[in-house]
Amino acid sequence: MVKTLTEHDIRAALSTVMDPEIPTCSITNLGIVQDVRISYDRIEIDLLPTFAGCPALDVIREDVEAAISKLTTDVDLKVQFVNDPPWTTDRISVGGREALGAYGITLPVLLPIGRKETVTCPYCGATETTLESAFGPTPCRTVRYCSSCRNPFEGFKTKTQPDASAS
Amino acid sequence: MSDPRASLLVALADDELILGHRLSEWTGWVPYIEEDLALSSIAQDEIAHARMLLDILSVIDGRDTDQLALGRAPGEFRNAVLCELPNTDFAFTLARHWLYDHADDVRLRALQKSSFKELREAVAIFLLEERYHLEHADAWFHRLAGGPVDARHRFADALSATIGEAVALFESIDDEPALVSDGVMPRSSEDLLGEWLGRIGEQLDEEGFDQVLSARGEPSTGEMVPTSTGEMEAQVLGSVLQPPDVKRIDGRWVHTDSFRGSGGRRGNHSEYFEPLWSEMTALYRAHPGAKW
Repeated sequence: MVKTLTEHDIRAALSTVMDPEIPTCSITNLGIVQDVRISYDRIEIDLLPTFAGCPALDVIREDVEAAISKLTTDVDLKVQFVNDPPWTTDRISVGGREALGAYGITLPVLLPIGRKETVTCPYCGATETTLESAFGPTPCRTVRYCSSCRNPFEGFKTKTQPDASAS
Repeated sequence: MSDPRASLLVALADDELILGHRLSEWTGWVPYIEEDLALSSIAQDEIAHARMLLDILSVIDGRDTDQLALGRAPGEFRNAVLCELPNTDFAFTLARHWLYDHADDVRLRALQKSSFKELREAVAIFLLEERYHLEHADAWFHRLAGGPVDARHRFADALSATIGEAVALFESIDDEPALVSDGVMPRSSEDLLGEWLGRIGEQLDEEGFDQVLSARGEPSTGEMVPTSTGEMEAQVLGSVLQPPDVKRIDGRWVHTDSFRGSGGRRGNHSEYFEPLWSEMTALYRAHPGAKW
């Protein structure tokens, strides 16, 4: 029965679902779980796509369905992606930032358009890094280069509302 | 009977879908790997944006997203002809990229205030992602404009050859009066054309590329074709779309008349559309309803 399941149980299950392309980071840490609604025979989960062109969206939905079905199968489960509000990198939790760093992807920085970014190298910790290309191996990543340890590395593509970044 | 909102959605989606398909043809062929990733990523974004728009349209239209993207006849597509033109070379690809992404930015910013909730939500996402396309296009614009003479000349020629079809991005949409009066389109296509011309005109002037827009100021006589006696005469353009002429008035580029004839927004495409459509939809036509 769904009534015995709380939102906390559902969110705990969701925190075990990892991003298929960043296996150290859960979807809850990534901030894409927008809403969980539970009624007597129904669970609805709203997710936010990180980038519209992310090919992992279908995999994430299937992984979420699999995680919930471990808790209960006696329920009408609806997992859907919604467009409002837009997902931004501001939604990544502190734990998510650490998980990204552990995977060699630099943390997103919140800067207005045109302002020079300071991004730390995940290998040596130096801040002398430059943007090589805004387009990396997936829609959400950029390619950066560390002029201290001379390694290329990946950065998460900053996605933030122009007004939010002014603060 | 038909919902005017469908006319706007299909025009916006088809621009992104067809340009995304064209850009995807560069995958594996770009002069170097970072740029290959960039154009491929932009193609991926554009096709994803088309999918989001067609998802919204499918609720109004009844056909599912794949049917709308791949199951329509060529004459049902409403993309501007600019998007379907062959990639030709890198100079043309980057000229179109710059002209298109500034036009897209102008219209998306206007649509942030649309009365159509689902579209407004999608546009908020597009703007966060298109920012990177625009920065990429601007970086190439300044790099080629300031580059070696050969690069600069080839880029200027590509911009001049493309500007007419870029202006045609602002041909009015089917049902536009209803869309404007309902607030679905907060500003008319012609109003947006004015803003875009001012914006690109300023940047072209700064780089000394004013010949790109000056050429549009010459009277439109249509294409010159040889007659049976060997003399050249202007081809009768019939219903072919002729974009308005543009002039610099008080230091600012403006359009001086209106569109004549009809183009991509009315389903009149160039000879290049059918082969693109045929390739893009081949699998879907062979296996209708296929999922992958």
